[in-house]
Amino acid sequence: MTAQVPVAVRARDVLACEWIKLRSLRSTYWTLLIAVVTPIAISALAAVALAGPPAHHGPPPDPLEPGLLSLEYAVLSVGVLGVTVFSTEYGTGLIRTTFAAMPRRRAVLAAKAAVVAAVTLVAGEAVAFASFGLAQAVLSGKHLGVSLSQPGVPGAVLANGLLLFAVAMIAVGLGAIVRDTAGGISAYVGVIFLPAIVALLLHAPWGARVGRFTLVYAARQVSELHPATNLFSPAWSMLVLLAWPAAVLLIAAVTITRRDA
Amino acid sequence: MIEVDHLVKRFGAVTAVDGLSFTVRPGHVTGFLGPNGAGKTTTMRVILGLDAPTAGSATVNGQSYTALVRPLRQVGTLLDATALHGGRSAVAHVASIARSNGIGRRRVAEVLQLTGLEAVANRRVKGFSLGMKQRLGIAVALLGDPQVLMFDEPVNGLDTEGIAWIRQLLKALAADGRTILVSSHLMSEMAQTADRLIVIGRGRLIADTTTAELIESSTRRDVMVRSPRAAELAELIGARRATVKREEDGALAVAGLDAAAIGDLAAEHGIAVHALIPRTASLEEAYMDLTGESVDFRAARPQAALEGAASR
Repeated sequence: MTAQVPVAVRARDVLACEWIKLRSLRSTYWTLLIAVVTPIAISALAAVALAGPPAHHGPPPDPLEPGLLSLEYAVLSVGVLGVTVFSTEYGTGLIRTTFAAMPRRRAVLAAKAAVVAAVTLVAGEAVAFASFGLAQAVLSGKHLGVSLSQPGVPGAVLANGLLLFAVAMIAVGLGAIVRDTAGGISAYVGVIFLPAIVALLLHAPWGARVGRFTLVYAARQVSELHPATNLFSPAWSMLVLLAWPAAVLLIAAVTITRRDA
Repeated sequence: MIEVDHLVKRFGAVTAVDGLSFTVRPGHVTGFLGPNGAGKTTTMRVILGLDAPTAGSATVNGQSYTALVRPLRQVGTLLDATALHGGRSAVAHVASIARSNGIGRRRVAEVLQLTGLEAVANRRVKGFSLGMKQRLGIAVALLGDPQVLMFDEPVNGLDTEGIAWIRQLLKALAADGRTILVSSHLMSEMAQTADRLIVIGRGRLIADTTTAELIESSTRRDVMVRSPRAAELAELIGARRATVKREEDGALAVAGLDAAAIGDLAAEHGIAVHALIPRTASLEEAYMDLTGESVDFRAARPQAALEGAASR
């Protein structure tokens, strides 16, 4: 009797359902607020520090560094947001109601990922551009600033904003795989930071050889004005940045239909 | 219609459902009865496609549940009323699920009104009592106005008024020609609500019959007789091919001969009878007889437990 429902309509229904779920929780607004406001404040502070006298004799600081630092902070709060969209449903048993209403589990995974993607893309870009504006306002006083009209700058800032989206997708996937909030967040921190920490501890040239495959190094490469020369190019690094969430979501898509809810 | 066909579900070494087959037909409230751990919830989860069967199959209206498009319009379910996100309001919870099956806001308001929750619709569900959560779960089950409804232990946590409300609702839904499957571990509850019963124990079918038939067939009936010449009387009754058991206090428990026949027999032989009482086992006892063998975790008899404690 209801067999003639086009796939597009069904997809829209599942998306709308997950959108209602996301926006009907206060915790969504709190985590987003923290993810947006704090990093902007941090980047202003970082810019002030950068504008001060150099602490060591090394290469000159990258003028886009403050924006990057601030986003790495936001990575933690969008991680919580991403992990919990699945883990709280598994934790409470609500996932059974969800899957009874929408037996196509991969559609649920896709819809949850999509609504979180939309929110984190907007938040990420907002943070990236706001941080950039604020930091450059501080740096320009010291003639260290760059402007959006300079070649390479808009792309780097845009790419910087993508970081939140990329890690949020990893978080959604891990929430579906691990099915538990505490475990999911632990796995998230491990997946994102552990490879970079290992790379950091390796001796040259292995640090860079391993490091270029890590998400943290890739995120830096795509969002700095003067990317490191011993890592992948920004274009390849962008691919690395997107390959991580793609891999995690793929594993989630496989496991979500294989296990009992 | 719900059809379960030779269903097997194992979790590692544990067999939760062991070759179960039954059919739930429209127009009745069918009780799904069994002790805790009998496999009722697992069976329901398999019917809903939440758990994959190890063997066998379960279908709803002839289709596998996972193949249903907009399943809530065909099957409504309440599995676990507490399975909610506490931070979400009642109306947001119902609206999100409604939206997933293309069901509009008007129907959301309708089911909230039907379940008496419209006054608390905007409150977050973490403050809800178990009874309110049950109502909320029923509201979700009714959303798509489905022909098939499945409720897992819906009266748990409800007060007397709530239980009466559910009973009326279930009967009204069945009278509408819908297929209703309600699980419970309480025979007394099911006897008042269900007109058909599927009884399972340890994942196996024990009985699939009408409630009246089950009560009739599984109820123990006997006559308690007291007499100063009990031994003599017992012999006479035994000669009539009835069974006689001597109880601890010297009374006779007679099965297979009714009170009138026993009285006549005693009078014929001039034996005085001090008591002649027909007895029927309660429904609950009948149910325990039926499922006694299949209870997984049996508690010690209260008396034995107390004695054990005292002697320590």
